[in-house]
Amino acid sequence: MSWAAHDLEPYAIQKHSRLKIAFVPLLLGSYAPDLMSKWYVYGIHLGPWKLKASDPAQFHRGWPGLGFTHSFLYGIVICLIFWKVLGSKNWGVSFLIGQWAHALTDTGDTVGTMLLFPWTHHFSIGAWAYAGQTGRNTDAAAYFSGLGSMWDLVWIVYGFYAWQVLTRSYFEQRVFTADGLWPKLNRFVPITALLVFYRAAFFYGTSRWIAWTIWAHVVHHYPYDLSWGGPHWVHAAHS
Amino acid sequence: MKRPNRRQLATLLGYAGAAAIYITIGVLTTDFLLSVFVAAAFLFLMVWLVPMIVRRIV
Repeated sequence: MSWAAHDLEPYAIQKHSRLKIAFVPLLLGSYAPDLMSKWYVYGIHLGPWKLKASDPAQFHRGWPGLGFTHSFLYGIVICLIFWKVLGSKNWGVSFLIGQWAHALTDTGDTVGTMLLFPWTHHFSIGAWAYAGQTGRNTDAAAYFSGLGSMWDLVWIVYGFYAWQVLTRSYFEQRVFTADGLWPKLNRFVPITALLVFYRAAFFYGTSRWIAWTIWAHVVHHYPYDLSWGGPHWVHAAHS
Repeated sequence: MKRPNRRQLATLLGYAGAAAIYITIGVLTTDFLLSVFVAAAFLFLMVWLVPMIVRRIV
């Protein structure tokens, strides 16, 4: 799985797409595959009960499970709901692009994704270890010690290189005008506040990448292992 | 590559300050790092709401 990449990729997609892209559904699409599943992968406590998938990788990426959320078909279905039921082609296509970006990015780990579901073959390049089954902290330590974190870093560096995408003028000219939601919100919320929310995912992705890296390597001294499929000190799940 | 002007640098400084606080809290309490909604609320508080209140008071 990827962490900060899902926060940061939408900014690059929005900048380079020749289509009219709505940023909110693009970001929603980028988060969507994990929205329903991540909490159950790591487990949560509800009073005396702990809810956790018995096979987190299977639940998260497989079938039976919620692995279909990481397929092209899932993006198409939600796109059609936005388009045909809710009447917004722009939201549908923007969601589709964000969700496909997520599904493709997650092929980078050792479990991969069922891109062509209902065909249950997992597409995986195995560049970094999938360790969701080890719990949130070990997963974070592993992820931020391997190539997955370097993939995130590419997007952070790119974001600072293309910093204009975060400016007020860019927001007003390209983002605000591409989606009717922003003018509606602007009736109640000043544009300076909307701009903060537009920048929030970039802030979140970059800040948590730095925080988890410090936590893993300064506070806890987990070793880096940037070899293919690493880090090999963690037990990686495979499809 | 175009360079940011002074106003843009000042904005960047504000966000960098908010990030430094967010990262410090996050390293000490990793649960703070788990939600984009928490991050968005924190950012809104730090770079929009608090500065606006301070401007009104001063």
